[in-house]
Amino acid sequence: MLTYALKRIAQTVPTFIALVALTFFALRLVPGDPVEVRVGEHGISPERLAEFRHQLGLDLPVWQQFLHYLWQILHGDFGISVVSQQSVLSEFFARFPATIELSAVSLVLAVGLGVPLGIVAALSRGTFVDYTVTALAVIGNSMPIFWWGILLVLLVSLKLDLTPVDGRIDNVAYYFDPDQTTGFMLWDSFWSDQDGAFLSALSHLILPSIVLGTIPLAVIMRITRSAMLEVLGEDYVRTARAKGLSPLRVVGLHALRNALIPVVTAIGLMVGTLIAGAVQTETVFSWPGIGKWLIDSFNRRDYPALQGGVLIISILVTLVNLSVDLLYGIINPRISHGR
Amino acid sequence: MSKLFKTGLLAAGFAALLGSTGLSAKTLVFCSEGSPENFQPALNTTNTTLDADRPAYDQLVEFTPGTTDVVPGLAEKYEVSKDGLEIVFHLRKGVKFHSLKGFKPTRDFNADDVLFSFNRQWKDDNPYHKVSGGAYDYFNDMDMPKLLKSIEKVDDYTVKVTLNEPNATIIPNFAMDFASIESAEYADYLLKAGTPEKIDQEPVGTGPFQFVAYQKDAVLRYKAFDQFWGGRPKIDTLVFAITPDAEARYAKLQKNECQIMVGPLPADLKGMQANPDLNVMSQQGLNDAYLSFNMKKPPFDKKEVRQALVMAIDKKNIIEDVYEGTGASATTLIPPFMLGYNDKIPEYPYDPEKAKQLLASAGVKTPLDVDLWYQPVYRPYNPNGKRMGELMQADLAKIGVNAHLVTYEWGDYRKRLQNGEATISQMGWTGDNGDPDNFFFLFDCATARDGGQNYARWCNKDYNDRFLKAQQTFDKDERAKLYREMQQITHDEVPYLNIAHSVVYVPMRKNLVGFKVSPLGRFEFHQVELK
Repeated sequence: MLTYALKRIAQTVPTFIALVALTFFALRLVPGDPVEVRVGEHGISPERLAEFRHQLGLDLPVWQQFLHYLWQILHGDFGISVVSQQSVLSEFFARFPATIELSAVSLVLAVGLGVPLGIVAALSRGTFVDYTVTALAVIGNSMPIFWWGILLVLLVSLKLDLTPVDGRIDNVAYYFDPDQTTGFMLWDSFWSDQDGAFLSALSHLILPSIVLGTIPLAVIMRITRSAMLEVLGEDYVRTARAKGLSPLRVVGLHALRNALIPVVTAIGLMVGTLIAGAVQTETVFSWPGIGKWLIDSFNRRDYPALQGGVLIISILVTLVNLSVDLLYGIINPRISHGR
Repeated sequence: MSKLFKTGLLAAGFAALLGSTGLSAKTLVFCSEGSPENFQPALNTTNTTLDADRPAYDQLVEFTPGTTDVVPGLAEKYEVSKDGLEIVFHLRKGVKFHSLKGFKPTRDFNADDVLFSFNRQWKDDNPYHKVSGGAYDYFNDMDMPKLLKSIEKVDDYTVKVTLNEPNATIIPNFAMDFASIESAEYADYLLKAGTPEKIDQEPVGTGPFQFVAYQKDAVLRYKAFDQFWGGRPKIDTLVFAITPDAEARYAKLQKNECQIMVGPLPADLKGMQANPDLNVMSQQGLNDAYLSFNMKKPPFDKKEVRQALVMAIDKKNIIEDVYEGTGASATTLIPPFMLGYNDKIPEYPYDPEKAKQLLASAGVKTPLDVDLWYQPVYRPYNPNGKRMGELMQADLAKIGVNAHLVTYEWGDYRKRLQNGEATISQMGWTGDNGDPDNFFFLFDCATARDGGQNYARWCNKDYNDRFLKAQQTFDKDERAKLYREMQQITHDEVPYLNIAHSVVYVPMRKNLVGFKVSPLGRFEFHQVELK
């Protein structure tokens, strides 16, 4: 097991280097010059342009810039944002809890609804219920996030007046000192002495989490359905049935356990989907998370912020995958023995 | 669980309370469109950021809200010497600075603060010069390093500014955001604490509102400054709800989650105007969208060719289609409310037949192939450069000019324009200080060089002499006369086609009173009230 873990960890090193290279060079291919974008209509003298370039290290040959960047990363320095002049790492983690909170709630929603719906569809295979659930999954999977978000705002917030339009909490009624909170609004509001804050935070989460959770929900639903169908045809399920166990026990205990394995794998892979979805969801709902920050940084050609942000996310995703793999190794020893 | 129950119960009670009495503290929520880059006006150039920084700061002189008129601010009065080389500012006494966690000012505003604020931007040896990147774009753009000879403290309440050459626009420059006055005492305090960069993150100024907190990308909070020298604001709390999506801003305004918003979509304006709860104010913006003809590139060195193109383009159609009612046709570079606007300048008529004749008389053989550069991004003065380009293309085709649409990424676009690569190009300008000089410099001889912003590469002696003379003339009438003559010269020589001045619309709730739409595109809340 230890050898497997070490091997697996060693494998991530080239992945990291590739990630740094990819984020670094991909951005250089994007048209536009961060210094020029910063200047606006007002123009700038060539001397000052050169000065800015020098400050940002953009006057060096690209390979030197890359080595310099790699060296910085190794020292945990992800650079300084051109726009805010603050460290990219601190800028990232100031927004991180908002994205984590939103993604976590969306995932809970997706799993909580997707698994039961998938099971129901599998059990009623070929019926109207099955077709409806499958059709919904297809629609959910192909829904443009932006459109879906705006549609929900118009309908639920404006027409029905059930939820707030955007943001994380009612900004007029509740106020949190950013220095003294965790950044997880549900947590902070729950333990704050401002009554009603928690409900406000919760109500602000409803629409964004539905929007962000829709695609994962559809995916989980479909995977659960097909995995369940497969498992239901297995010998041991038939045996269990033949033994006269109640359908609930057969499905709940025997079938579900095995059907969930691909679902769990899919959830692990969904981290990336969630982050990508967050970029759009956060923009629609003015959700102050990583996604919105990345979009802003891109629009302002804030190279260090964008580069650092993408890289930190990639590292986190890689680490999540690594831990999932290691956990698998523990759960299923066959994997760690290289079979 | 009991905590949850308690929370729910109290929330219900609280909501009932809200419903019955409303919040006792008057809170104004402004739906802004983006996050401020920092809280240091000297470092910023975008309105989004300056709007967010402005509540905390004052300048020596200020623009009256809703106008470009300059009135005394932190300086009670000022005198300009006869030769225009010396300006003496007499500072207001008893002006208090804000306090923040850990910092409490021990003295009132005085000359040291003025010196610190300008020296930070001007002097390399100022300990704050390089803090937060040290890019003072406006200070440099407004030519301050060239203009300033010295800034001296005569006594605690008198500051003398000496210039290298007389300049009539220097006073409006001192009203601009980059000239905001910071606390020198706060700067010293932060330097000693080893955290100088905090000066740009947690602002301490003398302005009507005191900074409370900024949660990144989410919300910015100010409270009324009780000791503000200009009188305490009528609202208690000012909240910037950062809402990048225009649809969401409108939705929030409809639900009274904010009371005023920036940047409505043209398509939403009709609905807003029909909404009985809303009030949509408007004003012509301090800007101009124009189309330059590069006179270094034949056949555009010929006046008839330029005139022909101007007469071939149906401007009315562009205003209707591209601006959707949010633009007014421009006849000169400056909008009508500015000093020296020449209302005698006629529009060139839309006349494709005449245009064809002009082309023929210039000896131009059609079809003529030419690249037409359009702006790749939304700008306040040009909401849709591509669409505008397409309309122009269609119009030009009618006189035998085949315009090929060309564009680049925005930064690249500007750089190429400055290098003189384009033949016909869209561009525009938003004024900074309300002074006509800030527009007319775009077409003076100095900027016609390579790398300059005179994309027509037009250098006209009659225009330029008047431009330079106006710069050194402090007499308003005399300047206005010069500017009127310059507009006539431009009209006759047609180095560019003025397209439109956009109209700025500001939707707000009906209960918000006292807001003035600024031609400078500013959002200011000192005078507003919630009824």
